[in-house]
Amino acid sequence: MNPPFDPDFMRLRQLEWSRRTFLGKSAQALGALALGSLVNPRLLSGTPPAGVPEGGRWPGILASPHFPPRAKRVIHLYMAGGPSHVDLFDPKPELNRLHGQPFPASFTNGQQLAQLQNTKLLARGSSFGFTRCGLSGQVISDLLPFTQQIADDICIVRSMHTEQINHDPAHAFMNAGSMVKGRPSMGSWLLYGLGAETENLPGYVVLMSRGPSGGEQPVSARQWSAGFLPSRFQGVQFQSKGVPVHYVGNPDGVCQSTQRQVIDEIARLNGFHEEETLDPEVRTRIAQYELAFKMQTSVPDLTDMSGEPESIRQMYGVKEPGDGSFASNCLLARRLAERGVRFIQLYHRGWDQHGNLDNDIKDVCKRVDQPSAALVKDLKQRGLLDDTLILWGGEFGRTPMGQGTGRDHHINAFSVWMAGGGIRGGLSWGSSDELGYRHLEDGQEMHVHDLHATMLASFGIDHERLIYRFQGRDFRLTDVHGKVAKGIFT
Amino acid sequence: MDHLGAFLGHFHPVLVHLPIGILLLLGALELAGLLSRARAFAWLPALTGGQRTLILALGACSSIIVAALGWLLAHGGDYDSALVHRHQLLGICAACACLAALAVHRWGSLYALALASSLALVVMAGHAGGKITHGSDYLTSRMPPALARVLGIAPPPEARKAAVGFERAVVFADAVGPILRDRCASCHGPAKGNGGLRLDSWELLSKGGKHGPVIKPGDLAASPLVLRIDLPSDAKEHMPPRGKPQLSDDELTVLEWWVGAGAPRDGAVAGLDLPPIVAGILEERLGGEATPPPDRAATLAQAARVAGELGIIVRPLSPVGPWIEVNARPAGRAFGDRELGLLAPVAPAIRWLDLGGTSVTDDGLAALAAMHGLERLHLDQTRIADPGLVRLSSLRQMEYLNLRGTAVTDAGMGALRALPRLRSLYLWQTAVTPAASRALGEALVDKRRIARWKSEQAELGRRIGAERFEGNTGESLNLDTKPAEAAAAGPASPPKVN
Repeated sequence: MNPPFDPDFMRLRQLEWSRRTFLGKSAQALGALALGSLVNPRLLSGTPPAGVPEGGRWPGILASPHFPPRAKRVIHLYMAGGPSHVDLFDPKPELNRLHGQPFPASFTNGQQLAQLQNTKLLARGSSFGFTRCGLSGQVISDLLPFTQQIADDICIVRSMHTEQINHDPAHAFMNAGSMVKGRPSMGSWLLYGLGAETENLPGYVVLMSRGPSGGEQPVSARQWSAGFLPSRFQGVQFQSKGVPVHYVGNPDGVCQSTQRQVIDEIARLNGFHEEETLDPEVRTRIAQYELAFKMQTSVPDLTDMSGEPESIRQMYGVKEPGDGSFASNCLLARRLAERGVRFIQLYHRGWDQHGNLDNDIKDVCKRVDQPSAALVKDLKQRGLLDDTLILWGGEFGRTPMGQGTGRDHHINAFSVWMAGGGIRGGLSWGSSDELGYRHLEDGQEMHVHDLHATMLASFGIDHERLIYRFQGRDFRLTDVHGKVAKGIFT
Repeated sequence: MDHLGAFLGHFHPVLVHLPIGILLLLGALELAGLLSRARAFAWLPALTGGQRTLILALGACSSIIVAALGWLLAHGGDYDSALVHRHQLLGICAACACLAALAVHRWGSLYALALASSLALVVMAGHAGGKITHGSDYLTSRMPPALARVLGIAPPPEARKAAVGFERAVVFADAVGPILRDRCASCHGPAKGNGGLRLDSWELLSKGGKHGPVIKPGDLAASPLVLRIDLPSDAKEHMPPRGKPQLSDDELTVLEWWVGAGAPRDGAVAGLDLPPIVAGILEERLGGEATPPPDRAATLAQAARVAGELGIIVRPLSPVGPWIEVNARPAGRAFGDRELGLLAPVAPAIRWLDLGGTSVTDDGLAALAAMHGLERLHLDQTRIADPGLVRLSSLRQMEYLNLRGTAVTDAGMGALRALPRLRSLYLWQTAVTPAASRALGEALVDKRRIARWKSEQAELGRRIGAERFEGNTGESLNLDTKPAEAAAAGPASPPKVN
């Protein structure tokens, strides 16, 4: 990345300061420091937050949580494309009754639609049965037989809503709380706030999988960008097929100690560069070299699945580890979680069923259902589910109106589920109206901002106090919105 | 007529402040009038005759009305008669003095005498009334001990509770008595004694009320004291009555244990054979040797140093207290008994400790004894075996214990019975049998509490069943069509493709 300003020009500008400017600025700065030290006594005491080896692992900007934390990591099972809530989690008998008839205009008048704009709107019932599962009696579609088994561990949120109706901006909204480019994604915010619990792997890892058939929208790398935060907090995409990280081995004739010397020397040179330019991105560069060096040993250990018993592979439905399937990614996600990675995002593409929904949804459920449930069960038996927050869902839902043999994008109501991280299992949170068109404003509605606020709350972070100042304005993941769904926690 | 009287009587506590306020204001105005004669206070206003008459008349009228209402209330209520009698006498005297002041208010010195005495009577009557509703030690119960000594008042009973500690606590005086005093004695105590029952001492409690004894030692089913507390909260007989502070689950557990154990009075709590759940609650309520929490700043600085040295992660768990989380997992096998020993300076502040995948041994776990505050402990994938578990038995706050992939066996489970607050225990990939873990669960579960929860749940179910759900959610529609566990909401055949 190029430095944002010309270093020579900067040095000249620093020399240009007049005595008057210097005195004025110094007085202001002293005043600000004095006030700051009143507000935060740690400011001038010179001690870094607890547990910071100087220049090592980023400990997070928050010296302490705002309230007691529950979760320590997130696994986001990202169903890219928009899973149909009325077919998966939100049964609507009234919609089935109206099937094939005109959709009531009172619902849709003046509303934004994607591809169904200016077409005749017909209600489309679900072709699939639903079952009450577990002791909690949560209702889950028969498309998801494995998820039905974990009904008592998950909290289904049926009142999700978002603001963006097309894939790319909606992904950005789900990840960063804004469709505007250049905002940090939630994984980056968490890393910035808390750091990761490993120095050997990136704190934010992304994996991608897809089915063999169509209905796949591309997911751009900006979805896991750090935006205006230092780029060391951005997500790092691992390859799900074959070796997760290319070229981790040393070339012939280079041993680890030589490599170490090379890295140290480059870090020294980069240090000179940083002193000269004061560019924070140089620091990121140094950190990335160091991380890459450590990954030369940590990644082979991560991907060595020989220790995974056959029973575990079968539980996830992994045919061949590293075959690029969602199942293989889920298994890898568990291994990443065990190693202290803060935010793991597994995109599975193939939910964008505008047509041929009844067949395609069966296919994608078959790929996703078993590994998702296996991940919850596996984390649970290891005692990891207590502090791992799992989020399963897409960027939006699908219309209760038919679009030929499928459904269009829908933002007013959709469903996700969450598990672990202090979330109450077996709980149904929020509802949509009788046709699954709009979330009910019953105090349990969950906007994407509310989801973000709730997620940060499970980490002990007050979403109104994780702030980064950029271009003269204070920014938050939830911008000026967000309400924590307190009732969702145990 | 009785109903009307009771209804009107309940306005006494509301209106009683009216004559008090009027008379005190009159006193203040008369004082101002007196002072205004001096040159320095000439700016103060003096009452005119008409104003005085009006205020006095208002005060006298309202005090007579309030006295009458008070008589109605005392007539229908269930109050301690001696206190009520005193309050009644003082109140009537105050009203009379007020009338007298009105009668003589044109004769200066006689009026002054009458007003002064009515003011004094109003204050005394007010205080006597306050004692009836709030208890006789209302003003002194929170008094700083130093002030109480100067005034010659017995120190409040709380002072004793804080001082004893679990080791020296006496059964009734320290463990059970305070619960009854906090939750019951405001109505069944020296002030009121409703139903002829007083629960503020062991003797009075065992005497029972006007309907007979309230406990049968050793027999919960025949002890109305616990039975009525146990009733659903909306039941008519439930105690404490609706709207009054209720007993917590912990308090009820202690009370039930006490009655079940034969309602002993004397003897040390620690000397009894307590079930682990009761022991845990009492230890927490009575406190052990009071150790002040460690200092936050010093702990965090210490922790940062240790963390840097050992390559582990330490984070505070709250924005105020000194409590910290220690994660040694990143250090892996390089973290052993010696390193665990180095945590000693911050040991009392550790709440969460992750030793998963480290090389700590059974002997090394001796260092955990100093971590009294430990709530979550990961020992998964370590070489810990049964002898190590014995070393955990002093960690009374432990709620979460992960022993996955260790060498522990059924024999070690016995030691975990000493952990009263244990809620999550992970034993996957160990030799522990399901039977042994179930037995441990049985021992650690408060069955009566679960029975209580179940009855609460049933009560809630009844209430919900009685009301109609208004929300038009898919769920309720689903409920309407088929209440069976496995109702299929989808249509039998796939909808026509259009």
